[in-house]
Amino acid sequence: MNEFKIAQREASNVNVLELKGYLDAHTAPKLEEAFQTLLKTNRTNIVVNCKDLSYISSAGLGVFMAYIEDVRNKSGDIKLTNMSNKVYNVFDLLGFPLLYEIFKDESEAVKKFNDKK
Amino acid sequence: MATARRTSRSSASSSYESYFEHTALFEFSKVINSSLDPRFIYSHILLTIMGKILSSKGMVIVEKESRHFTVVMAKGFSQDVVGTSMHIRQIPPSIFLVDKVNATKYPWVKFFKRLGVKMLLPMYMADTPIGLLAFGERFSKKKLHSREVTYLRSLANISATAIEKSRTFDELQQVNRKLDRKIQELNTLFDLSKEFGALLDAEKLIRLLEFSLLGQVGVNRYIICLRQGSDVRVAASRVDGPVPQAELLQTLFKLKGTTPVANLSASGVQNARDVLTGLKMALVVPMGLQGENKGLMILGERLSGNPYEEIDYEFLTSLANLAIISLENARLFKEAIEKQRMEDELLIARDIQKGLLPSVLPSIPGFDIAAANISSKQVGGDYYDVIPADNNRHVIAIGDVSGKGTPAALLMASIQASIRALVPLNLSLSELTGRVNDLMCENTGGNKFVTFFWGFVDPVAMTLNYVNAGHNYPYLIHADGSIDRLDKGGMILGVLKTVMPYEEATVKLKHGDLLLLFTDGVSEAMSHDSMEYGEERIEAVLKKHGCEPAQRIIDLLHEDIIQHADGAQQSDDITMMVLKVA
Repeated sequence: MNEFKIAQREASNVNVLELKGYLDAHTAPKLEEAFQTLLKTNRTNIVVNCKDLSYISSAGLGVFMAYIEDVRNKSGDIKLTNMSNKVYNVFDLLGFPLLYEIFKDESEAVKKFNDKK
Repeated sequence: MATARRTSRSSASSSYESYFEHTALFEFSKVINSSLDPRFIYSHILLTIMGKILSSKGMVIVEKESRHFTVVMAKGFSQDVVGTSMHIRQIPPSIFLVDKVNATKYPWVKFFKRLGVKMLLPMYMADTPIGLLAFGERFSKKKLHSREVTYLRSLANISATAIEKSRTFDELQQVNRKLDRKIQELNTLFDLSKEFGALLDAEKLIRLLEFSLLGQVGVNRYIICLRQGSDVRVAASRVDGPVPQAELLQTLFKLKGTTPVANLSASGVQNARDVLTGLKMALVVPMGLQGENKGLMILGERLSGNPYEEIDYEFLTSLANLAIISLENARLFKEAIEKQRMEDELLIARDIQKGLLPSVLPSIPGFDIAAANISSKQVGGDYYDVIPADNNRHVIAIGDVSGKGTPAALLMASIQASIRALVPLNLSLSELTGRVNDLMCENTGGNKFVTFFWGFVDPVAMTLNYVNAGHNYPYLIHADGSIDRLDKGGMILGVLKTVMPYEEATVKLKHGDLLLLFTDGVSEAMSHDSMEYGEERIEAVLKKHGCEPAQRIIDLLHEDIIQHADGAQQSDDITMMVLKVA
């Protein structure tokens, strides 16, 4: 079974989730848990760094969809960064660039959050 | 001479121009073929020709569908014209002037005339028109030289090839993208089937199904409902407004195949159509298993705004069927586990009960004694006992614990323990009964009770001293045929602590007397048509066979009950004890 890991850290008031490995139907609940925890504690400025994400399935994308409304209702956002071409392709194929802000680098997304204030 | 010189000079200039034109055509071809971006190609065509003929207005019109042409780029004209489509049946073979064209043959030209277009240059691929180039007035207002016409036709031909190439490439890209999407869909189904197969938890399965709808289909408003028999339940939903009632959802289960909400009235579910339209739902996807709809996925519009197409139905149907199989498996698995658990528990209860009942009854001198317990499938809480006491006396007891299974069996065990502990205390039966009742009340908190009859058989005094705590009255049939029912005592055990002492009674036992203790499993044994066995039949058997040995009487009673029940399954234990005075 391919592993999936989430590392969480804070960078200037923004919560960064670093995803690593395979995000599929099997591992999707882990990401869901991470989003739930952040939402519960009202930490809704979320950057998801996909640098080490090697694969994402539609169930994985579904988790992003499932929480984006709740996050935005709390005037936060989920921004995505550092995607490999392969991962970006899946996002693109399913029309995600219309719904999410996707940045080349984490720092741009963090800056965007901080500029807003 | 002069003429000749002029001719020669003109010929020299002509060959120079020709060289220049060829070079320019070559350059043009090289540039527009260097890109597959249609906007770049259109722009370069316009700028080149506008520069050549010195006009400030140009437009590219391309055939999008058969004979439907669309303005794709305009320079110098209002940008509003971009996107305008028109039907064009026929196009002149070559460059032509708007003012001079046959307006009845080419009615579409008036659209261009209105915009101020002076000249139209058709683009042909082989003999098929693929588009038009339109231009406004030249600054010079001069007519085109025949040489210029040839040059423009060449440009148009090169343009046609480049546009066609980029269009083919675009189509290919779209096909590729569709293919990518299909592969992605297959990956999703594969990913899910792997995970669904390993999951036996319905809640997790539904969650995954939701993720797939959100992620793959790109829909974030939906209702997933499942049907079990006639019971419809909403397993998950994300809607703006109240989730529709089960009765309404029920009507959708007759749908055959994926149906757009807009078409629901044609399927005779107008009411559901109105409610679902109100919730902005767009599509109903049945979740079929072996030709039966076991669930529904009701989906809202996609976030992308793209309408659902036939091609999406395939994926949705596969997803629905995959999910329902797994959900059904999870349900069956849970049922099997539950059934197994219950059976295990009953086995334990039966073991406890069997362990508590005396395997061999002690013999009481001068008495013939026999007993039987036939436990029902669910295992009731029946109990009987014969316990030796002091001075040759014996305690006989029968009881029926409320409830069934392990809890009843355990309570029975605690009663047996307390009476066995209390009997040697040399208290009156009334006091003993009070104590047993108090102990039970403490242990059960008053939510379980026992009907109980017990007594001391004294073979010396030839008496039975008894207390009946709410139990079926035992029969005491005397040798002369008269019958006593042993009804003295008090409240059933376990409900209230003893306030009023239990009444005890003593009856004289004579030669040939017969005592029957029984539980309601005997008197209420059911036949197929729900008729109870009844006390009349008990009495009849006792009267008829009263002179038989105790064990034989038990057997005859049991046979008569079996005959009455005629194979009907009994919900309660059947327990009886016969004591005969020799």
